[in-house]
Amino acid sequence: MLSELDFSIIPASIPFLWAGFLFSLKITVTAMVGGIILGTLLAMARLSGGPWLAAAATAYINTMRSIPLLMVIMGFFIIIPTLIGHPIGSENSALITFTVFQAAYYGEIMRAGIQSVSTGQVNASFALGMTYWQAMGHIILPQAVRNMLPLLLTQTIVLFQDTSLVYAIGAKDLFRVATNIANTEHAPVEMYLFVALIYFVICFSLSLLVKRMQKRIAIVR
Amino acid sequence: MIQIKNVSKWYGNFQVLTDCSTGVAKGEVVVVCGPSGSGKSTLIKCVNALEPIQQGDIIVNGIKVNDPATDLPKLRSKVGMVFQHFELFPHMTIVENLTIAQMKVLNRGKDEARDKGMKLLERVGLKAHAQKFPGQLSGGQQQRVAIARALSMDPICMLFDEPTSALDPEMINEVLDVMVELAREGMTMMVVTHEMGFARKVANRVIFMDHGTIVEDAQKDEFFGTPRSERAQQFLSKILHH
Repeated sequence: MLSELDFSIIPASIPFLWAGFLFSLKITVTAMVGGIILGTLLAMARLSGGPWLAAAATAYINTMRSIPLLMVIMGFFIIIPTLIGHPIGSENSALITFTVFQAAYYGEIMRAGIQSVSTGQVNASFALGMTYWQAMGHIILPQAVRNMLPLLLTQTIVLFQDTSLVYAIGAKDLFRVATNIANTEHAPVEMYLFVALIYFVICFSLSLLVKRMQKRIAIVR
Repeated sequence: MIQIKNVSKWYGNFQVLTDCSTGVAKGEVVVVCGPSGSGKSTLIKCVNALEPIQQGDIIVNGIKVNDPATDLPKLRSKVGMVFQHFELFPHMTIVENLTIAQMKVLNRGKDEARDKGMKLLERVGLKAHAQKFPGQLSGGQQQRVAIARALSMDPICMLFDEPTSALDPEMINEVLDVMVELAREGMTMMVVTHEMGFARKVANRVIFMDHGTIVEDAQKDEFFGTPRSERAQQFLSKILHH
């Protein structure tokens, strides 16, 4: 069976796959940066935002974490244009959806990270005359990110894999491009094997990196 | 300099401070001692509002600490504080630990902050360690850095919360020496400690606390001579004779 496979379509597909891969990467990086920033604000709201803000942030996080990602992707694709009155395209919709969705997950990681820094550090910052934002920005968050780096990266690996779900709204990521080529060239097995290999190599090497980081952090402590 | 008037504090229903009144005059060194759980650390943390109080008033340099309108960061920047567990910032080098608040809170320039930091490091005998990280220093060295960090803000008074309790015995003196020097220079100090040798050497007054109340507040000689309360006598006999 394997001998019947014809991988000759792969070289010609590379430029298209590359474009799709770049878009997958764009979603990943956008949602990672945006998600960590938004998530950090959510975590701060939960920990020190007063009862109303904390309740709102908690409700947001629980909602996002309780709905399947695929539904959120479809939902935003339909809801956003009706809210703002004009279509924004599947690609912009994907970028926004992933950012606000991932914020809920990054937010919980950052909350654990902030809590991993002792209250003594907070007191020391305040005792030196720092404001809440100065203490957060210079003392607490840098340590929180450092402590949570392996978890943040693991979440990003999951995020990269999940970008394939944007095929549902027709955004041209790596998986969508591969599917298109597989259909037109009648070579689904070859194409999917090749794309699976790409996902595997990227995610596996990233998780090796996480493992090495965990060891290094363990030594420093 | 520091006035504490009828201060009471509760954690939920549990009362940790009961009607505490005392003060520290300019240039005075006041030692606060007492058994663990007596509320002495809580009281000193109330002075710069790291802990809120529910009753009474605390006034530092003429400013009411427990007034919601008080600019706490500004007030705290003038009150140095040294903690039991040092609380140096582990992700910064020693010199960065000494410059960050100078630059961000007092808006000093980088060079000015650095010069000031290096001078203070030299003073506590740790100039050679400026580029190291806190984790590479011994406990005694870290506490000396913490004192230098507090001094870098040019404080008008200093609070010490059990500064030697977390140290190995052989490191206690290097920290106390720095504190004695500070006291002799006329720094206003409130010191929570069990180091009675330090109290005898430089304190003006000694406060003894138990169960959240100030049991004794006396001049040093009076306190070590004939403590009035039985509880203080017992405490002294326990920590002085072993």
